[in-house]
Amino acid sequence: MTQPISVVIADDEELARRLITEYLRPYQDIDIIAECETGTEAMDAIIQRCPDLIFLDIQMPEMTGLEVLEMTGRHNGVIFTTAYDQFAMKAFDLHAIDYLLKPFSQQRFDEALNKARKLLQQSGASSEAAIKQLLAENTEKNQHLMIRDRHQVHVVPIATIDYIKAEDDYILIHAAGKSWMKTQSLTDVEAQLNPAQFVRIHRSYLMPLHALKAIERLSKDSIVALLNNGEKLPVSRSGYERLKEHLH
Amino acid sequence: MHPLLSDFRRLLWHITVWLVVGLFTAKILALTNFSHFSYACFFAVPVSLFFGFLTSSAYYVCASFRIQKYTFFIIKLVFIASSLISAILALCVAHGWNLFLSNVTDTASPINITPQLDFALFASCLVLYLLALLTYDVVIAFEDMQAAEKREANARLLARDAELQVLRSQIDPHFLFNSLNSISALTAIDANAAREMTIALADFFRKTLTLSEQEKITLDQELCLCDDFLAVEKIRFGKKLHSKVEVDEPTKSASIPPMILQPLLENAIKHGIRTIRQGGCITIKIVRNGDWLHIRVTNPVNTDTPPVPGSGLGLQNLRARFQALYSDQARVEWRCTEQEFVVELTLPWESNTP
Repeated sequence: MTQPISVVIADDEELARRLITEYLRPYQDIDIIAECETGTEAMDAIIQRCPDLIFLDIQMPEMTGLEVLEMTGRHNGVIFTTAYDQFAMKAFDLHAIDYLLKPFSQQRFDEALNKARKLLQQSGASSEAAIKQLLAENTEKNQHLMIRDRHQVHVVPIATIDYIKAEDDYILIHAAGKSWMKTQSLTDVEAQLNPAQFVRIHRSYLMPLHALKAIERLSKDSIVALLNNGEKLPVSRSGYERLKEHLH
Repeated sequence: MHPLLSDFRRLLWHITVWLVVGLFTAKILALTNFSHFSYACFFAVPVSLFFGFLTSSAYYVCASFRIQKYTFFIIKLVFIASSLISAILALCVAHGWNLFLSNVTDTASPINITPQLDFALFASCLVLYLLALLTYDVVIAFEDMQAAEKREANARLLARDAELQVLRSQIDPHFLFNSLNSISALTAIDANAAREMTIALADFFRKTLTLSEQEKITLDQELCLCDDFLAVEKIRFGKKLHSKVEVDEPTKSASIPPMILQPLLENAIKHGIRTIRQGGCITIKIVRNGDWLHIRVTNPVNTDTPPVPGSGLGLQNLRARFQALYSDQARVEWRCTEQEFVVELTLPWESNTP
């Protein structure tokens, strides 16, 4: 007997959750470990209990399903459900991400579940790339990043970001005189942001072009970027090449 | 604004015309042996220009004495009086200028202004000023017509937007698909409840279709529609959603535009009740106060989450719809306090039943 698949159901309507529970009943190997009513609850459940599979409604109070994924960094084992969200539906179709349109039949539900189950078994093939692309589009549309600070969620508009710095296993987002900590890799946040707007100027620094004031060459091998807020950031040689491409 | 001052080219034309009139007068004076042409030019051109600017004052006379506001008799009187005054003024200036010129230039032959010349000048000034009055009247009538056309086009545009808005609120896709999903869930849990919800949903859509076609409906009809809507939403949201309706019985006969209350409830659920974990109660209070009908919808809000951008668009649309229907006679106001969101509608009391 293989290990049961742990499942989290996130939907703010009780009846919608009960429907999924009912559709899951025939499956003996499925274990529903949590039901969530809000985006925040879903986020906590994903972080604390690491379910194998999440049924995630897009339209939820406090945080949308896409924002939950952005906050948790979760990129696979997700089945989206939605009643009607033109933006999300278009994006799902574009990236071939499976989703359930409410109301859905047991048959359609089984299909989605089996597809997800297969993906879980083949560890290599995951929906990671597609979901990352989807989140990048969502960020581009909303023009903000979401950051969790203990139990509060902060929204940082992209236009206010001065730079993002990589620390050990987290990043520091410097925006409008404050700095925000987020558990995410610099490469991940770089993929999420518009590449025409943000330049990786250094292994540990990601800078938006709108924050740049000037580039100074201190010596032959040392270049710094002077920001509008007066701070100076180191620019690596390859970072300088990338920066030049953007400025020409 | 004065039509001559608002357009530089028009002003240039005006000056040119009066320059020509001045030269023309000078030529007549020379031909009739009143003076040399050169002196006549010095005399007639400035006087003509002065009179030209005097005639532009006719615009203000026309603008303040509109045919819509005063009787024809008064307007006739004002027109004749103002023409007389300006003709006399022009004559005085002509005399003064002639005197001044003859002193300054030391010329041997100033114009001898005979009574005949006086009369000719006076009469032509009078006629010209009257002509100016009539011209400006035509200009103003034309401007009015253009403004009215523009207003009408705007009103038509708003009416079409309102229609679209009504159409959109009829079929909120979220509401429809989520309700169907709830019914789908209920069929296995509670078949009777599923049937009830289907009927409530059908009633709601049927009422929206028939009511939104009409220009005005009674408040009672709108409240019935809201009951169906709330019945469906209460099944979806369960214990989270409560409502309290406080309506004075006599106000139910009030005649109102369709679909003004239901969108408010929809907003109250979407942006209020739904975002609160433990839910809350929507309060609807409707009273008549003399010639006015007041409708107030209050719902609790979640203080932790910032308001969703883009909300308030529905309220802006409602405001525009009221503006098109009642001009300044109706109001849509909303405010958000710490705990609650309040929308207040004030519209003129109308009723088909006495």
